[in-house]
Amino acid sequence: MIFRAVEDADLISRVRRGDVEGFNHLVSRWEKRVFNYLLRLTGSQEDAMDLSQEAVLKAYQNIRKLDDPARFGPWLYRIAHNEAHSLFRKRRPETALEEAPPERNAAPGFSMDLSLAVTAALDRLNPDQREAVVLKVYEGFKFEEMAEILECPVSTVKSRLYTALDLLKSELAPVSARGKFNDSSK
Amino acid sequence: MIHPSEALRDYAVGELAADQKPALEQHLAVCGECTDELDRLRVTTAALGMLADQEIPQRIAFVSDKVFAPSPVSRFFGGFWNSAARMGFASACILGGALIVSTYHRPSELRTVVQTANVDVSKQVNEAVTKAVARVQADDARAIEAMDRKYQREYQARMVAVEESFSRMQMRLGTALIASNDLRGSGEGQ
Repeated sequence: MIFRAVEDADLISRVRRGDVEGFNHLVSRWEKRVFNYLLRLTGSQEDAMDLSQEAVLKAYQNIRKLDDPARFGPWLYRIAHNEAHSLFRKRRPETALEEAPPERNAAPGFSMDLSLAVTAALDRLNPDQREAVVLKVYEGFKFEEMAEILECPVSTVKSRLYTALDLLKSELAPVSARGKFNDSSK
Repeated sequence: MIHPSEALRDYAVGELAADQKPALEQHLAVCGECTDELDRLRVTTAALGMLADQEIPQRIAFVSDKVFAPSPVSRFFGGFWNSAARMGFASACILGGALIVSTYHRPSELRTVVQTANVDVSKQVNEAVTKAVARVQADDARAIEAMDRKYQREYQARMVAVEESFSRMQMRLGTALIASNDLRGSGEGQ
């Protein structure tokens, strides 16, 4: 991650000098991750592709506003997050996203039952919880970075993630014979 | 026994601070419930991890399109303003140029050239005006001469016509006098 950030900063300085190919190189390093992040939020390849294009275009147009080039990743994800939520707001009157999550196909190459179980468990989370899981488990961001992307306090990020993990755990890893875990924080 | 639930979750997702890990690991060694909980969290994240990333259907490379690419001029100026070295070099060039110009600059010569140029131009203008005036005057003289000739011709023609009419009237008058004398002579004879 550190090497990636260093190289990102180098590419960004090239882009700021007018090197368009430097930006293409930067995009090639992030496009698959951003696409999959948006795919997990929207459940639609077409939407994820369109939103990825929009996010990258906005990143290109606003690259000079990026304060810390080493934090290009969270910055790009925040743009993608804003694009996705802008789309959700536009569609909200027609499709209540929170009540009816988009249909998803099981991931190829894995047990259909397990894939479907995981997909169904993710779909039962609300959008904020699902996004917290996606950013932590699939994208590997730190809490500080997640807070930057979601524009909310770290405490909120942790609350969303741990609530989501409790719900997922109850479906994907049922309680063992030893008994229920007693949470001292409650 | 108190179960450090938040530290356990932080540990499970790789967010527990390094200085807190030894204490948690000591607790896990003696607490079956926390060990079970950690196992369940790991099973959950492992199950989630089985949904692999998908390949992107098409590359995002639109920025290389000419439409989105900055023009060579904007690239030059973009690079120029973002480079202190280039700015410094350009400033030195401008300063050097200004020094050379000021060294070889001759205001008096410049004035002479400007004055000479002004004299040449005014001379050319005067010549052109003189030629134009002469041309107009010649045209006018030719027109007046032509009109004069035409007037003379018409005048002479009218005079000829008047003389002829006068001659005809004289002849008629003479004829009338002769006839009158003839009539008077014949009356006296009777």
